[in-house]
Amino acid sequence: MIRAQGISKTFNAGRPNEFRALQDVSVELPFGRTTILKGPSGSGKTTLLGIIGCMARPTTGRIYLGEREITSLPERFLTGIRRQTFGFIFQQFNLIKGLTVLENVMIPAYPLGEKHGLLRQRALDTLELFDLGRKAGAKVDWLSGGEAQRVAIARALINDPLVVIADEPTAHLDSRLSTEFMAIMRRLKGEGKTIILASHDPIVYDSDLGDLLIEMRDGRIVRGGERP
Amino acid sequence: MILHPGVLSLLVSSLLTLVMTFAAAGFGVRILRHWDLASGSERQLQLERRTYLVSTIVSYTLGLQLISIFLFLHTVDDLSSLFVGAMCAVGSLSVGSFGYPTLLLKIATFLLAALWLILNHADSRGYDYPLIRWKQWLLLLLAPVILAEFISQAVYFLALHPDIITSCCGSLFSVKDRTMATEVANAPPLPMLALFYTTAGLTIAAGLRFRRRGRGAYLFALLSAVQLAVAIASVVSVISLYIYQMPSHHCPFCILQKEYLFIGYPIYLTIMTTAVCGIGVGMLHRFRRAESLGEELPRIQRRLATVALWSLALQLVLATLPIVSTDFTLR
Repeated sequence: MIRAQGISKTFNAGRPNEFRALQDVSVELPFGRTTILKGPSGSGKTTLLGIIGCMARPTTGRIYLGEREITSLPERFLTGIRRQTFGFIFQQFNLIKGLTVLENVMIPAYPLGEKHGLLRQRALDTLELFDLGRKAGAKVDWLSGGEAQRVAIARALINDPLVVIADEPTAHLDSRLSTEFMAIMRRLKGEGKTIILASHDPIVYDSDLGDLLIEMRDGRIVRGGERP
Repeated sequence: MILHPGVLSLLVSSLLTLVMTFAAAGFGVRILRHWDLASGSERQLQLERRTYLVSTIVSYTLGLQLISIFLFLHTVDDLSSLFVGAMCAVGSLSVGSFGYPTLLLKIATFLLAALWLILNHADSRGYDYPLIRWKQWLLLLLAPVILAEFISQAVYFLALHPDIITSCCGSLFSVKDRTMATEVANAPPLPMLALFYTTAGLTIAAGLRFRRRGRGAYLFALLSAVQLAVAIASVVSVISLYIYQMPSHHCPFCILQKEYLFIGYPIYLTIMTTAVCGIGVGMLHRFRRAESLGEELPRIQRRLATVALWSLALQLVLATLPIVSTDFTLR
Protein backbone atom coordinates (compact mmCIF):
# COMPACT_ATOMS: atom_id res chain seq x y z
CA MET A 1 0.00 0.00 0.00
CA ILE A 2 1.10 3.54 -0.76
CA ARG A 3 0.19 5.78 2.15
CA ALA A 4 0.29 9.57 2.06
CA GLN A 5 0.08 11.12 5.49
CA GLY A 6 -0.62 14.80 6.13
CA ILE A 7 0.81 15.97 2.82
CA SER A 8 0.96 19.70 2.16
CA LYS A 9 2.81 21.42 -0.63
CA THR A 10 3.44 25.15 -0.77
CA PHE A 11 5.13 26.77 -3.73
CA ASN A 12 7.08 30.05 -3.33
CA ALA A 13 6.69 29.92 0.45
CA GLY A 14 7.02 33.29 2.15
CA ARG A 15 6.78 35.24 -1.10
CA PRO A 16 3.89 37.36 -2.36
CA ASN A 17 3.05 34.66 -4.91
CA GLU A 18 2.92 31.87 -2.31
CA PHE A 19 0.58 29.10 -3.41
CA ARG A 20 -0.62 26.13 -1.40
CA ALA A 21 -1.20 23.35 -3.90
CA LEU A 22 -1.99 20.67 -1.32
CA GLN A 23 -3.31 20.99 2.20
CA ASP A 24 -3.10 18.16 4.71
CA VAL A 25 -3.86 15.36 2.26
CA SER A 26 -3.93 11.83 3.66
CA VAL A 27 -4.79 8.89 1.45
CA GLU A 28 -4.12 5.16 1.16
CA LEU A 29 -3.68 3.53 -2.24
CA PRO A 30 -3.62 -0.28 -2.18
CA PHE A 31 -1.14 -2.16 -4.37
CA GLY A 32 -2.65 -3.92 -7.38
CA ARG A 33 -5.63 -1.60 -7.53
CA THR A 34 -6.48 1.36 -9.74
CA THR A 35 -7.02 4.76 -8.19
CA ILE A 36 -8.43 7.69 -10.08
CA LEU A 37 -7.88 11.23 -8.87
CA LYS A 38 -10.66 13.44 -10.15
CA GLY A 39 -10.85 17.20 -9.96
CA PRO A 40 -10.68 20.43 -11.92
CA SER A 41 -7.47 22.12 -13.00
CA GLY A 42 -5.60 23.50 -9.99
CA SER A 43 -7.13 21.03 -7.57
CA GLY A 44 -3.72 19.51 -6.72
CA LYS A 45 -3.92 16.22 -8.63
CA THR A 46 -0.66 16.66 -10.51
CA THR A 47 1.16 17.86 -7.40
CA LEU A 48 -0.04 14.87 -5.43
CA LEU A 49 0.98 12.49 -8.24
CA GLY A 50 4.42 14.11 -8.37
CA ILE A 51 4.90 13.70 -4.63
CA ILE A 52 3.66 10.11 -4.56
CA GLY A 53 5.95 9.30 -7.49
CA CYS A 54 8.99 10.88 -5.76
CA MET A 55 9.23 13.57 -8.45
CA ALA A 56 8.80 16.31 -5.84
CA ARG A 57 9.07 16.56 -2.08
CA PRO A 58 6.20 17.72 0.12
CA THR A 59 6.38 20.76 2.37
CA THR A 60 5.00 18.68 5.24
CA GLY A 61 3.92 15.07 5.62
CA ARG A 62 5.28 11.67 4.73
CA ILE A 63 4.78 9.07 2.01
CA TYR A 64 5.10 5.37 2.83
CA LEU A 65 5.76 2.82 0.11
CA GLY A 66 4.76 -0.39 1.83
CA GLU A 67 6.46 -0.11 5.19
CA ARG A 68 9.20 2.16 3.96
CA GLU A 69 9.02 5.89 4.48
CA ILE A 70 10.36 7.52 1.30
CA THR A 71 10.02 11.30 1.62
CA SER A 72 13.05 11.57 3.91
CA LEU A 73 15.33 9.59 1.61
CA PRO A 74 18.41 11.33 0.28
CA GLU A 75 18.24 11.97 -3.45
CA ARG A 76 20.55 9.10 -4.41
CA PHE A 77 18.17 6.57 -2.82
CA LEU A 78 15.07 8.32 -4.11
CA THR A 79 16.36 8.13 -7.67
CA GLY A 80 16.51 4.34 -7.49
CA ILE A 81 13.00 4.07 -6.10
CA ARG A 82 11.63 6.49 -8.68
CA ARG A 83 13.31 4.58 -11.47
CA GLN A 84 12.33 1.08 -10.44
CA THR A 85 9.00 1.51 -8.68
CA PHE A 86 7.21 4.12 -10.75
CA GLY A 87 6.46 4.46 -14.44
CA PHE A 88 5.22 7.88 -15.50
CA ILE A 89 2.93 8.81 -18.35
CA PHE A 90 2.81 12.56 -18.73
CA GLN A 91 0.06 14.76 -20.07
CA GLN A 92 2.25 16.03 -22.92
CA PHE A 93 3.92 12.57 -23.27
CA ASN A 94 7.35 14.29 -22.96
CA LEU A 95 9.00 12.16 -25.63
CA ILE A 96 12.43 13.41 -26.63
CA LYS A 97 12.30 14.82 -30.12
CA GLY A 98 15.07 13.87 -32.52
CA LEU A 99 15.40 10.41 -30.98
CA THR A 100 13.76 7.29 -32.31
CA VAL A 101 10.87 5.48 -30.74
CA LEU A 102 13.20 2.71 -29.57
CA GLU A 103 15.69 5.14 -28.02
CA ASN A 104 12.92 6.97 -26.18
CA VAL A 105 11.67 3.72 -24.70
CA MET A 106 15.16 2.57 -23.68
CA ILE A 107 16.22 5.81 -21.99
CA PRO A 108 14.76 5.19 -18.49
CA ALA A 109 16.62 1.86 -18.34
CA TYR A 110 20.06 3.17 -19.31
CA PRO A 111 21.16 4.07 -15.76
CA LEU A 112 20.50 0.50 -14.59
CA GLY A 113 23.45 -0.72 -16.63
CA GLU A 114 21.71 -3.61 -18.37
CA LYS A 115 23.54 -5.00 -21.40
CA HIS A 116 22.58 -2.97 -24.43
CA GLY A 117 21.57 -5.96 -26.54
CA LEU A 118 19.26 -7.33 -23.85
CA LEU A 119 17.75 -3.93 -23.16
CA ARG A 120 17.17 -3.32 -26.85
CA GLN A 121 15.37 -6.65 -27.20
CA ARG A 122 13.26 -5.93 -24.13
CA ALA A 123 12.34 -2.49 -25.50
CA LEU A 124 11.39 -4.06 -28.87
CA ASP A 125 9.25 -6.65 -27.08
CA THR A 126 7.52 -3.90 -25.12
CA LEU A 127 6.86 -1.95 -28.30
CA GLU A 128 5.39 -5.08 -29.88
CA LEU A 129 2.86 -5.24 -27.05
CA PHE A 130 1.55 -1.91 -28.28
CA ASP A 131 1.78 -2.79 -31.95
CA LEU A 132 4.65 -0.36 -32.45
CA GLY A 133 7.41 -2.76 -33.47
CA ARG A 134 7.47 -1.49 -37.04
CA LYS A 135 7.87 2.10 -35.77
CA ALA A 136 10.90 1.35 -33.57
CA GLY A 137 13.37 3.10 -35.87
CA ALA A 138 11.16 6.10 -36.60
CA LYS A 139 11.78 9.50 -35.06
CA VAL A 140 9.11 10.38 -32.50
CA ASP A 141 8.58 13.74 -34.22
CA TRP A 142 6.54 12.03 -36.93
CA LEU A 143 4.23 9.93 -34.76
CA SER A 144 0.48 10.45 -34.61
CA GLY A 145 -1.09 11.38 -31.25
CA GLY A 146 -2.16 7.81 -30.57
CA GLU A 147 1.24 6.39 -31.44
CA ALA A 148 3.02 8.97 -29.28
CA GLN A 149 0.77 8.06 -26.40
CA ARG A 150 1.52 4.34 -26.78
CA VAL A 151 5.26 5.05 -26.96
CA ALA A 152 4.91 7.03 -23.72
CA ILE A 153 3.17 4.04 -22.12
CA ALA A 154 5.87 1.67 -23.39
CA ARG A 155 8.54 3.94 -21.94
CA ALA A 156 6.74 3.99 -18.59
CA LEU A 157 6.77 0.20 -18.55
CA ILE A 158 10.37 -0.44 -19.63
CA ASN A 159 11.64 -0.89 -16.07
CA ASP A 160 8.67 -3.09 -15.17
CA PRO A 161 7.46 -0.70 -12.46
CA LEU A 162 5.19 -1.70 -9.63
CA VAL A 163 3.14 1.46 -10.06
CA VAL A 164 2.05 3.24 -13.24
CA ILE A 165 1.23 6.91 -12.79
CA ALA A 166 -0.57 8.83 -15.50
CA ASP A 167 -1.32 12.52 -15.34
CA GLU A 168 -4.21 13.68 -17.51
CA PRO A 169 -3.35 10.98 -20.05
CA THR A 170 -6.31 11.64 -22.31
CA ALA A 171 -6.16 15.44 -22.30
CA HIS A 172 -4.86 15.58 -25.86
CA LEU A 173 -6.63 12.54 -27.26
CA ASP A 174 -9.92 12.18 -29.05
CA SER A 175 -12.56 9.82 -27.71
CA ARG A 176 -11.38 6.81 -29.73
CA LEU A 177 -7.79 7.14 -28.55
CA SER A 178 -8.94 7.81 -25.00
CA THR A 179 -10.93 4.60 -25.03
CA GLU A 180 -7.92 2.78 -26.47
CA PHE A 181 -5.78 4.17 -23.63
CA MET A 182 -8.26 2.92 -21.04
CA ALA A 183 -8.15 -0.51 -22.67
CA ILE A 184 -4.37 -0.58 -22.27
CA MET A 185 -4.69 0.45 -18.62
CA ARG A 186 -7.21 -2.33 -18.09
CA ARG A 187 -4.70 -4.78 -19.52
CA LEU A 188 -2.00 -3.51 -17.19
CA LYS A 189 -4.35 -3.77 -14.24
CA GLY A 190 -4.99 -7.36 -15.24
CA GLU A 191 -1.23 -7.94 -15.06
CA GLY A 192 -1.26 -6.79 -11.45
CA LYS A 193 0.07 -3.26 -11.85
CA THR A 194 -0.94 -0.56 -9.42
CA ILE A 195 -2.35 2.29 -11.46
CA ILE A 196 -2.90 5.88 -10.39
CA LEU A 197 -4.61 8.17 -12.86
CA ALA A 198 -5.32 11.86 -12.49
CA SER A 199 -7.95 13.21 -14.83
CA HIS A 200 -10.93 15.45 -15.25
CA ASP A 201 -12.03 13.53 -18.34
CA PRO A 202 -15.31 11.59 -17.83
CA ILE A 203 -13.98 8.81 -20.06
CA VAL A 204 -11.42 8.15 -17.34
CA TYR A 205 -13.23 8.82 -14.09
CA ASP A 206 -16.58 7.34 -15.17
CA SER A 207 -14.98 4.12 -16.40
CA ASP A 208 -15.25 0.93 -14.37
CA LEU A 209 -11.45 0.66 -14.33
CA GLY A 210 -11.02 2.58 -11.08
CA ASP A 211 -11.32 0.73 -7.81
CA LEU A 212 -10.99 3.96 -5.87
CA LEU A 213 -12.22 7.37 -6.93
CA ILE A 214 -10.78 10.33 -5.07
CA GLU A 215 -12.18 13.74 -5.74
CA MET A 216 -9.97 16.77 -5.13
CA ARG A 217 -10.65 20.48 -5.01
CA ASP A 218 -8.47 23.40 -3.86
CA GLY A 219 -5.67 21.12 -2.72
CA ARG A 220 -7.86 18.95 -0.51
CA ILE A 221 -9.63 15.63 -0.85
CA VAL A 222 -13.33 16.41 -0.82
CA ARG A 223 -14.61 12.91 -1.43
CA GLY A 224 -13.00 9.55 -1.85
CA GLY A 225 -13.37 5.87 -1.42
CA GLU A 226 -14.03 2.48 -2.95
CA ARG A 227 -16.16 2.41 -6.10
CA PRO A 228 -19.40 0.48 -5.64
CA MET B 1 51.99 42.05 3.73
CA ILE B 2 53.73 40.61 0.69
CA LEU B 3 51.47 40.41 -2.36
CA HIS B 4 52.43 36.92 -3.40
CA PRO B 5 49.91 34.83 -5.39
CA GLY B 6 50.18 32.03 -2.82
CA VAL B 7 49.52 34.41 0.07
CA LEU B 8 46.46 35.87 -1.63
CA SER B 9 45.15 32.41 -2.57
CA LEU B 10 45.59 31.14 0.97
CA LEU B 11 43.89 34.16 2.52
CA VAL B 12 40.95 33.98 0.13
CA SER B 13 40.55 30.20 0.43
CA SER B 14 40.79 30.38 4.23
CA LEU B 15 38.16 33.10 4.35
CA LEU B 16 35.90 31.06 2.09
CA THR B 17 36.38 27.95 4.21
CA LEU B 18 35.76 29.95 7.39
CA VAL B 19 32.53 31.49 6.12
CA MET B 20 31.18 28.21 4.76
CA THR B 21 32.17 26.23 7.85
CA PHE B 22 30.53 28.71 10.21
CA ALA B 23 27.40 28.88 8.07
CA ALA B 24 27.29 25.08 8.06
CA ALA B 25 27.98 24.94 11.79
CA GLY B 26 25.01 27.26 12.38
CA PHE B 27 22.89 24.90 10.33
CA GLY B 28 24.44 22.03 12.29
CA VAL B 29 23.18 23.51 15.54
CA ARG B 30 19.66 23.50 14.09
CA ILE B 31 20.12 19.86 13.11
CA LEU B 32 21.31 18.94 16.61
CA ARG B 33 18.37 20.74 18.20
CA HIS B 34 15.51 19.86 15.89
CA TRP B 35 16.37 16.76 13.84
CA ASP B 36 13.59 14.18 14.14
CA LEU B 37 13.31 11.75 11.26
CA ALA B 38 10.00 10.43 12.58
CA SER B 39 8.40 13.82 12.11
CA GLY B 40 6.87 15.00 8.86
CA SER B 41 6.87 18.63 9.96
CA GLU B 42 7.82 21.47 7.65
CA ARG B 43 10.95 22.19 9.68
CA GLN B 44 12.14 18.58 9.53
CA LEU B 45 11.56 18.37 5.78
CA GLN B 46 13.43 21.65 5.30
CA LEU B 47 16.36 20.29 7.31
CA GLU B 48 16.38 17.11 5.20
CA ARG B 49 16.43 19.11 1.98
CA ARG B 50 19.11 21.53 3.12
CA THR B 51 21.46 19.04 4.76
CA TYR B 52 22.25 17.58 1.35
CA LEU B 53 23.11 20.99 -0.08
CA VAL B 54 25.08 22.12 2.98
CA SER B 55 27.06 18.86 3.14
CA THR B 56 27.95 19.15 -0.54
CA ILE B 57 29.19 22.73 -0.17
CA VAL B 58 31.16 21.91 2.99
CA SER B 59 32.71 18.89 1.25
CA TYR B 60 34.15 21.11 -1.45
CA THR B 61 35.41 23.79 0.94
CA LEU B 62 37.03 21.20 3.20
CA GLY B 63 38.53 19.58 0.12
CA LEU B 64 40.10 22.97 -0.53
CA GLN B 65 41.32 22.95 3.06
CA LEU B 66 43.17 19.67 2.43
CA ILE B 67 45.04 21.23 -0.46
CA SER B 68 45.79 24.45 1.40
CA ILE B 69 48.41 22.90 3.72
CA PHE B 70 50.55 21.99 0.72
CA LEU B 71 49.99 25.40 -0.86
CA PHE B 72 51.03 26.93 2.47
CA LEU B 73 54.24 24.90 2.53
CA HIS B 74 54.99 25.82 -1.07
CA THR B 75 54.26 29.51 -0.43
CA VAL B 76 56.41 29.88 2.70
CA ASP B 77 59.19 28.01 0.93
CA ASP B 78 58.90 30.34 -2.06
CA LEU B 79 58.81 33.44 0.16
CA SER B 80 62.10 32.48 1.82
CA SER B 81 64.06 34.15 -0.99
CA LEU B 82 62.69 37.52 0.18
CA PHE B 83 64.02 37.41 3.74
CA VAL B 84 67.57 38.06 4.78
CA GLY B 85 69.02 34.93 6.34
CA ALA B 86 66.28 32.58 5.20
CA MET B 87 67.25 29.50 3.18
CA CYS B 88 63.95 27.62 3.15
CA ALA B 89 60.47 27.62 4.71
CA VAL B 90 62.04 27.66 8.18
CA GLY B 91 63.22 31.22 7.60
CA SER B 92 59.77 32.36 6.46
CA LEU B 93 58.01 30.58 9.31
CA SER B 94 60.38 32.18 11.83
CA VAL B 95 59.29 35.67 10.80
CA GLY B 96 56.94 36.78 13.59
CA SER B 97 55.33 34.49 16.12
CA PHE B 98 52.55 33.05 14.01
CA GLY B 99 54.38 31.00 11.37
CA TYR B 100 54.66 27.73 13.23
CA PRO B 101 51.30 28.03 15.02
CA THR B 102 49.72 28.46 11.58
CA LEU B 103 51.47 25.34 10.31
CA LEU B 104 50.35 23.32 13.34
CA LEU B 105 46.78 24.60 12.95
CA LYS B 106 46.90 23.65 9.26
CA ILE B 107 47.89 20.12 10.22
CA ALA B 108 45.04 20.00 12.75
CA THR B 109 42.45 21.27 10.26
CA PHE B 110 43.78 18.86 7.63
CA LEU B 111 43.19 15.90 9.94
CA LEU B 112 39.80 17.07 11.19
CA ALA B 113 38.60 18.08 7.71
CA ALA B 114 39.65 14.74 6.26
CA LEU B 115 37.87 12.86 9.05
CA TRP B 116 34.75 14.96 8.48
CA LEU B 117 34.87 14.10 4.78
CA ILE B 118 35.12 10.39 5.63
CA LEU B 119 32.21 10.67 8.05
CA ASN B 120 30.16 12.59 5.51
CA HIS B 121 30.86 9.99 2.83
CA ALA B 122 29.75 7.18 5.14
CA ASP B 123 26.66 9.13 6.18
CA SER B 124 25.64 9.65 2.57
CA ARG B 125 25.63 5.86 2.04
CA GLY B 126 22.85 5.35 4.59
CA TYR B 127 19.23 6.06 3.67
CA ASP B 128 18.32 7.47 7.09
CA TYR B 129 21.21 9.92 7.68
CA PRO B 130 22.75 7.55 10.27
CA LEU B 131 25.74 9.72 11.21
CA ILE B 132 24.19 13.14 10.81
CA ARG B 133 24.51 14.16 14.47
CA TRP B 134 28.13 13.00 14.72
CA LYS B 135 28.91 14.88 11.55
CA GLN B 136 27.52 18.08 13.05
CA TRP B 137 29.44 17.61 16.30
CA LEU B 138 32.66 17.16 14.35
CA LEU B 139 31.88 20.28 12.33
CA LEU B 140 31.33 22.22 15.56
CA LEU B 141 34.73 21.01 16.74
CA LEU B 142 36.31 21.93 13.42
CA ALA B 143 34.84 25.44 13.19
CA PRO B 144 36.88 27.08 16.01
CA VAL B 145 40.08 25.40 14.77
CA ILE B 146 39.43 26.83 11.29
CA LEU B 147 38.78 30.23 12.86
CA ALA B 148 42.05 30.01 14.82
CA GLU B 149 43.89 28.99 11.67
CA PHE B 150 42.37 31.85 9.69
CA ILE B 151 43.34 34.42 12.33
CA SER B 152 46.82 32.98 12.84
CA GLN B 153 47.48 32.80 9.10
CA ALA B 154 46.12 36.31 8.48
CA VAL B 155 48.23 37.81 11.30
CA TYR B 156 51.26 35.91 10.05
CA PHE B 157 50.91 37.02 6.43
CA LEU B 158 49.98 40.61 7.31
CA ALA B 159 53.15 40.95 9.41
CA LEU B 160 55.46 39.76 6.62
CA HIS B 161 57.83 42.37 5.27
CA PRO B 162 60.78 41.72 2.96
CA ASP B 163 63.24 43.70 5.05
CA ILE B 164 62.95 41.41 8.08
CA ILE B 165 66.08 39.53 9.11
CA THR B 166 65.34 35.97 10.04
CA SER B 167 67.20 32.76 10.73
CA CYS B 168 67.94 29.70 8.61
CA CYS B 169 67.17 26.07 9.35
CA GLY B 170 70.76 25.51 10.58
CA SER B 171 70.12 27.68 13.63
CA LEU B 172 66.69 26.22 14.37
CA PHE B 173 68.06 22.70 14.66
CA SER B 174 71.38 23.62 16.27
CA VAL B 175 72.32 21.66 19.36
CA LYS B 176 72.85 24.82 21.43
CA ASP B 177 69.16 25.49 22.02
CA ARG B 178 66.89 23.02 23.74
CA THR B 179 63.62 23.26 21.87
CA MET B 180 61.20 20.58 20.77
CA ALA B 181 62.70 20.78 17.28
CA THR B 182 66.24 20.24 18.56
CA GLU B 183 65.08 17.43 20.84
CA VAL B 184 63.59 15.63 17.85
CA ALA B 185 66.54 16.46 15.60
CA ASN B 186 69.00 15.18 18.15
CA ALA B 187 67.23 11.90 18.74
CA PRO B 188 69.69 9.07 17.93
CA PRO B 189 69.23 8.50 14.18
CA LEU B 190 69.60 4.75 13.87
CA PRO B 191 67.30 3.82 16.79
CA MET B 192 64.86 6.38 15.35
CA LEU B 193 65.09 4.64 11.99
CA ALA B 194 64.43 1.32 13.70
CA LEU B 195 61.41 2.83 15.46
CA PHE B 196 60.14 4.17 12.12
CA TYR B 197 60.32 0.78 10.41
CA THR B 198 58.94 -1.04 13.45
CA THR B 199 55.93 1.26 13.71
CA ALA B 200 55.36 1.02 9.97
CA GLY B 201 55.61 -2.77 10.14
CA LEU B 202 53.14 -3.00 13.01
CA THR B 203 50.74 -0.61 11.23
CA ILE B 204 50.92 -2.70 8.06
CA ALA B 205 50.34 -5.90 10.04
CA ALA B 206 47.32 -4.36 11.81
CA GLY B 207 46.00 -3.01 8.51
CA LEU B 208 46.33 -6.37 6.74
CA ARG B 209 44.66 -8.11 9.68
CA PHE B 210 41.76 -5.70 9.46
CA ARG B 211 41.52 -6.12 5.67
CA ARG B 212 41.44 -9.92 5.94
CA ARG B 213 39.43 -10.51 9.09
CA GLY B 214 37.69 -7.21 9.77
CA ARG B 215 39.21 -7.18 13.23
CA GLY B 216 41.51 -4.76 15.05
CA ALA B 217 40.10 -1.54 13.62
CA TYR B 218 40.89 0.49 16.74
CA LEU B 219 44.42 -0.92 16.94
CA PHE B 220 45.00 -0.02 13.29
CA ALA B 221 43.69 3.51 13.93
CA LEU B 222 45.92 3.90 16.98
CA LEU B 223 48.99 2.66 15.14
CA SER B 224 48.22 4.97 12.21
CA ALA B 225 48.13 7.94 14.60
CA VAL B 226 51.41 6.81 16.22
CA GLN B 227 52.88 6.34 12.75
CA LEU B 228 52.04 9.98 11.95
CA ALA B 229 54.08 11.24 14.91
CA VAL B 230 56.92 8.77 14.42
CA ALA B 231 57.15 9.45 10.68
CA ILE B 232 57.37 13.24 11.13
CA ALA B 233 59.96 12.82 13.90
CA SER B 234 61.89 10.38 11.72
CA VAL B 235 61.94 12.80 8.79
CA VAL B 236 63.50 15.44 11.06
CA SER B 237 65.77 13.08 12.93
CA VAL B 238 67.11 10.70 10.30
CA ILE B 239 65.43 10.50 6.90
CA SER B 240 66.36 14.08 6.05
CA LEU B 241 70.02 13.30 6.77
CA TYR B 242 70.02 10.64 4.06
CA ILE B 243 68.19 12.91 1.61
CA TYR B 244 70.69 15.76 2.14
CA GLN B 245 73.58 13.31 2.64
CA MET B 246 74.78 15.47 5.50
CA PRO B 247 75.04 14.18 9.06
CA SER B 248 73.86 17.40 10.72
CA HIS B 249 71.22 18.88 8.41
CA HIS B 250 67.85 18.02 9.92
CA CYS B 251 65.59 20.51 8.18
CA PRO B 252 62.14 19.05 7.31
CA PHE B 253 61.49 21.87 4.82
CA CYS B 254 64.54 21.90 2.52
CA ILE B 255 63.26 18.58 1.14
CA LEU B 256 60.41 20.58 -0.39
CA GLN B 257 62.87 22.28 -2.72
CA LYS B 258 63.79 21.56 -6.32
CA GLU B 259 67.37 20.48 -5.39
CA TYR B 260 65.85 17.49 -3.64
CA LEU B 261 63.31 16.80 -6.39
CA PHE B 262 60.48 18.09 -4.21
CA ILE B 263 60.54 14.72 -2.44
CA GLY B 264 59.13 16.31 0.72
CA TYR B 265 55.69 16.77 -0.83
CA PRO B 266 55.02 13.09 -1.59
CA ILE B 267 56.57 12.10 1.76
CA TYR B 268 54.27 14.42 3.72
CA LEU B 269 51.30 13.55 1.53
CA THR B 270 51.74 9.83 2.20
CA ILE B 271 52.27 10.45 5.93
CA MET B 272 49.03 12.43 6.17
CA THR B 273 47.07 10.05 3.95
CA THR B 274 48.13 7.02 5.99
CA ALA B 275 47.14 8.76 9.22
CA VAL B 276 43.79 10.03 8.01
CA CYS B 277 42.68 6.78 6.37
CA GLY B 278 43.91 4.64 9.27
CA ILE B 279 42.23 6.79 11.89
CA GLY B 280 39.15 6.89 9.66
CA VAL B 281 38.89 3.08 9.85
CA GLY B 282 38.74 3.27 13.65
CA MET B 283 36.37 6.22 13.67
CA LEU B 284 33.87 4.45 11.42
CA HIS B 285 34.14 1.23 13.42
CA ARG B 286 32.20 2.93 16.18
CA PHE B 287 29.17 3.07 13.88
CA ARG B 288 29.29 -0.49 12.58
CA ARG B 289 25.94 -1.30 14.17
CA ALA B 290 24.09 1.39 12.20
CA GLU B 291 21.45 -0.69 10.44
CA SER B 292 21.17 1.39 7.28
CA LEU B 293 24.91 1.20 6.65
CA GLY B 294 24.78 -2.59 6.69
CA GLU B 295 27.43 -3.90 4.34
CA GLU B 296 28.40 -0.44 3.16
CA LEU B 297 30.38 0.56 6.25
CA PRO B 298 32.76 -2.44 6.21
CA ARG B 299 33.27 -1.79 2.50
CA ILE B 300 34.25 1.85 3.16
CA GLN B 301 36.52 0.74 6.01
CA ARG B 302 38.22 -1.83 3.80
CA ARG B 303 38.73 0.78 1.10
CA LEU B 304 40.23 3.22 3.64
CA ALA B 305 42.50 0.50 4.99
CA THR B 306 43.65 -0.29 1.46
CA VAL B 307 44.46 3.36 0.75
CA ALA B 308 46.26 3.66 4.11
CA LEU B 309 48.34 0.55 3.40
CA TRP B 310 49.32 1.59 -0.13
CA SER B 311 50.11 5.06 1.13
CA LEU B 312 52.29 3.65 3.90
CA ALA B 313 54.02 1.36 1.43
CA LEU B 314 54.78 4.35 -0.78
CA GLN B 315 55.96 6.28 2.27
CA LEU B 316 58.40 3.47 3.07
CA VAL B 317 59.68 3.42 -0.49
CA LEU B 318 60.20 7.21 -0.47
CA ALA B 319 61.95 7.07 2.90
CA THR B 320 64.08 4.06 2.02
CA LEU B 321 65.20 5.15 -1.46
CA PRO B 322 67.63 7.85 -0.20
CA ILE B 323 69.03 5.35 2.31
CA VAL B 324 69.74 2.56 -0.15
CA SER B 325 70.57 4.60 -3.24
CA THR B 326 73.57 6.54 -1.85
CA ASP B 327 76.88 5.76 -0.22
CA PHE B 328 76.08 8.04 2.68
CA THR B 329 76.07 6.23 6.03
CA LEU B 330 75.46 7.20 9.64
CA ARG B 331 77.28 4.21 11.10
